Order: sequence, then structure tokens, then C-alpha cells
Amino acid sequence: MSASLSYSLVITAAPWASQAPQSALALAQAIIQGGHRIDRVFLYGDGVHLASSLATPPSDETHWPVEWSRFLAEHDIAGIVCIASALRRGIVNGTEQTRYHLEASNLRAPFEIAGLGEWVESRLQSDRVLYFHGGQS
Amino acid sequence: MTTLMIIDQAPYGSWSGREALDMALSLSAFDQSVALLFTGSGVNWLRRGQASDAIGQKSVEKNLSAAPLFGIETLLATRKDCERYSLTETDRLPGVTLVDTAAEAIADHDHVLFAG
Repeated sequence: MSASLSYSLVITAAPWASQAPQSALALAQAIIQGGHRIDRVFLYGDGVHLASSLATPPSDETHWPVEWSRFLAEHDIAGIVCIASALRRGIVNGTEQTRYHLEASNLRAPFEIAGLGEWVESRLQSDRVLYFHGGQS
Repeated sequence: MTTLMIIDQAPYGSWSGREALDMALSLSAFDQSVALLFTGSGVNWLRRGQASDAIGQKSVEKNLSAAPLFGIETLLATRKDCERYSLTETDRLPGVTLVDTAAEAIADHDHVLFAG
């Protein structure tokens, strides 16, 4: 029997622009089913769109932000959104809304906003760090 | 543990290279050893005298010049791509080491990253 491993996943491409969030979720489910752990999911670059609470796809399409946030909550996994990537792209929590005097906030729970230090921590902490990128643009 | 960040796209047309550089700077800020490899059209990052004001963007040359100050000491570029883009030694930023192949640079590092 193989030993249990800890993973971190990094997603750098947006839902509905790339399959990356979907592929990452399929792997995340397999990791948990396989008896392994996920330390952290880190959204970077265009991947931050996965944490939007305003995405509203047609009802016959899979809602990737909802699917991902349910998965994170169910398994108590930290979902971290890179602050620099998020602010550029209009993904904001209440704190940043106040700081920048913005009209609204839209970060979907349980995602949290933090810095690249969380990603550096993942590289030191997890046995494996896996990246889900979009195609070349 | 040494990390190689690969930048393989030209600056300005895509944001991924800038975000790759941010990742590299962040590793360096946390005392992790990191080198940058510019390959393919990515070697154009290393060109001197980029007039990015003309397209309303911040120059990546300025960011790169600061990399050594933030602890990124190794800038690598693939020789044949520099030749392909006419990037001679006088056209390049100082302190760039040429490698014959990307594979050679990759083999020298424990971890390899792309920003996306």
C-alpha cells in the first residue's frame, strides 16, 4: 500500500476560457478518494475568476465556482486567491472593497485573498504541487 | 532546492510573463533560490531600450534590471533564440548567460515552473 501524500494545486486559467479548473477539480476529487490530502488550492493569474460569486452561467452548464467552493468547504481545504492577480481582475473581498473604496465585493466563500507567500509555503509544505494552466495564448 | 522559471512568450502581448516574474521575485523574497530562463520569443524580454511608453505599458526591462537586487542572480537565455531575434550581446541586458538548449538549463535545477 502506498503512503499518503499531501498536495497543493495551482490554477492559472479561468473557467469557461480553459478546462484547467475542471481538470483540477477532477484530480482533487481523485486525490481525496485515494486517501491523500490537499493542503491548499491557489488561484493565480486568470485562475482568480474561479472565485467570483457573480459568475452566472446558463442553468444547463456546470457552475465551476459553485462546484469548487462546495468541494473546498466539504473537505475543509484552504482556497487561496492571489491578491495582486485578484485586484487587477476585479475579484474583491470586503476588506479590499473598503480599502479601495469599491462599489461591491464578490469573493465567493470559502475562498480567501492572500499573497504569493501562501504559494511559496505550499512548495515547502506539500509533497506535490501541481499546476493547471490554460493553453498558450 | 533550486527553481527555474521559464518565460517563453514575448513581453507585452500576454500578462503571463509578468506574473511569472512576480512568482520568481516572491520565491526570492522568501530566500528560495530561483533562476530565470528566457527562451523562444521570450528572449525579447532581455532587449535593451524597450520603448514601452508608446503602447502605454510599463517596461519589463525595468523590472528585470531590478531582479538581481531582489536576489535573482541568474538570467539564462537560449543561444539560438537570441540569434533568431538578432539579440546580440550589445542588444541584451547585462548579466545574461547563454545556454545551448533549454534542456541543459532544466537539468541544472530541481524544480521547473511556467506561469501559464
